[in-house]
Amino acid sequence: MRILIVEDEPKVASFIRRALEEESYAVDVCPDGVEGRDLACEVNYDLIILDLMLPNLPGLGVLKGIRAEKVKTPVLILTARSEVDQRVKGLDAGADDYLTKPFAIEELLARSRALMRRASGETSGILQIDDLILNPITHEVTRAGQRIDLTSKEYALLEYMMRSSGRVLTRPMISEHVWDLDFDTFTNVIDVYISYLRNKIDKGHERNLIHTVRGSGYTLKAADG
Amino acid sequence: MGNTSIRVRLTIWYGCGLALIMILFASALYLVMSRALEDQIDRSLEDAAMAAARSLEEHRFGPFLLLDDLAQAFPELALLDKFFQIFGPQGQITLQSANISTRNIPLSESAMQAALKGEATYESVRFHGEVSIRLLSYPIKHGETLVNILRVGTSLRPVEEMLNRLVFVLLIGSPLAVIVSMLGGWFLAGRALRPVHTITLAAQRIAAGDLTQRIHTTSADEIGRLASTFNDMIARLEASIRQIRQFSADASHELRTPLTITKGETELALRKERTPEVYREVLESNLEEIDRMSRIVDELLFLSRADLGEIKIAKEPVQLDQLVQEIQHQALVLGKDREVETVLGTLEPTEVAGDEWRLRELFLNIVDNAIKYSQEKGTVEISLEHANGMAKISVQDNGIGISPDEQKLVFDRFFRSDTARAHAQKGTGLGLAICKWIAETHQGQIQVESTPGQGSRFTIFLPLHSQA
Repeated sequence: MRILIVEDEPKVASFIRRALEEESYAVDVCPDGVEGRDLACEVNYDLIILDLMLPNLPGLGVLKGIRAEKVKTPVLILTARSEVDQRVKGLDAGADDYLTKPFAIEELLARSRALMRRASGETSGILQIDDLILNPITHEVTRAGQRIDLTSKEYALLEYMMRSSGRVLTRPMISEHVWDLDFDTFTNVIDVYISYLRNKIDKGHERNLIHTVRGSGYTLKAADG
Repeated sequence: MGNTSIRVRLTIWYGCGLALIMILFASALYLVMSRALEDQIDRSLEDAAMAAARSLEEHRFGPFLLLDDLAQAFPELALLDKFFQIFGPQGQITLQSANISTRNIPLSESAMQAALKGEATYESVRFHGEVSIRLLSYPIKHGETLVNILRVGTSLRPVEEMLNRLVFVLLIGSPLAVIVSMLGGWFLAGRALRPVHTITLAAQRIAAGDLTQRIHTTSADEIGRLASTFNDMIARLEASIRQIRQFSADASHELRTPLTITKGETELALRKERTPEVYREVLESNLEEIDRMSRIVDELLFLSRADLGEIKIAKEPVQLDQLVQEIQHQALVLGKDREVETVLGTLEPTEVAGDEWRLRELFLNIVDNAIKYSQEKGTVEISLEHANGMAKISVQDNGIGISPDEQKLVFDRFFRSDTARAHAQKGTGLGLAICKWIAETHQGQIQVESTPGQGSRFTIFLPLHSQA
């Protein structure tokens, strides 16, 4: 899951980024309204966290800009003003949720999870494919009741694949949703991580869940029954 | 009366006043009228008596006075509203006119006595159940001897009837006039007070918190002036409340950012075990934010005390050239990290009247800003000249500059330009507002000229001491 933070106050952007990264999300930060809007239109983010007070283009402008470009990514707005008016304007301009500064970090994370869950069409927070279960809140992964320890990146990759289960995921799609802007697309890092995941998830089980699609990429789905 | 409305009170006062005037007027009218009528009667009695006396003299005082002759000689006597009696010197009736009633009207004792002294007597006589009669007894003398007493009388009935009619008219008319005028007064007071009622309603809505209310008035009279004064007052109140709301919204926004940072960083650090370095970083960062908050609070407090007029500004001679030199020394220290050099341009010896401590704060703030927003290894130049009888202090930098739109706003509270906002070193957004306040309380001015990307020049004008 990849998240864009558009926030001009560097310290605020920095702690939100660190909090999200600890949750294994790929995070990009942008301190400018215009750049933020362009980035949001270019990259297929899973969530945008948007401050309303921005240089060059205010948050509402960014919001209207990306909605005009038919970008459906959920947007969580951050506002320092508690006036109802601001929040109403934000929600009306296409925001999905808001938080008033100062906010609790756990609330930010919970709202982010909820927005991404809604976007992927799930109802409960727990992801399950066959006997593979992933809990996004505790980051606990089990297969047939057996606990599996994953690194942060492995977890991020698995969460993305489980959220898009059944669909064929190309390498560019995977890199876009799991890695941030610093990722070098010319390496075989994705293949390496897929093999790590296979080792931990499918090894020793009768049914394989991660499948290679020749010439395209990978998919995660329940064994054909 | 305390609770009664002005309208009722006005009407009552008006009615009482008018009633009093009517009573006085009616009494005076009655007295004057009755006196005038009595005088008129007396005069006509006298005329008749004189005529009769002359006639008697012509007839040689004989007992044979003919009324017909009298009537012929004096046609006015033909109006037989008068009767005549002639008494002998002992008071016995010798002759009386035919139109006298059957009743005997004897000569009174006082009239007799007066006649003996040669004086005429006027009397009013009322017989029971009849109208009053006015009598004139007139002595006719021959030499020193009283020959006859002539008496002329007339009925007072027309006079009494006239006075009765007058009383009737006054008794009916006066209360009617008072009632009509009270109704008129009630109506007029209502009309005059209607705008007051409108003002009251508007004031009630305003008191309920709706400061957008205004009183609609077109008249230029007293009430119209009251309404427009009232409107002006509400407009000023609305503006200052809007300003206060804006100010507190800005203040809370400004405080929210450091609060967000301290809260967020602390919560994040506490989510799991961290290394001592991470804790140290969080604490250092939090300390920075706490300093920022206390600076904001201090400056807010300063500005709100300044607004209330609680900050005293001394009026002492200040040697500006010396002060500018000291500022330049401090600026060299401030600019050390970023290698920004502060130099002196023209420096004319100048004395102004003011508060040295506040002026130092003003210049230091401007110079500190200039250094903060300068390019690294840039130069800030301070100069002091005289211009149009004012001391002119300029601070020129070659920093990031301010766009023309933002130049108008830099002295506003909490305003920070986009470039300043993106700048690493955060101010409170109140420094220049404080500078403006200091300059203006010294009867001075502060201005800014700037070219984005090339630098800004802040100019402060202060009145010279000799002029102050």
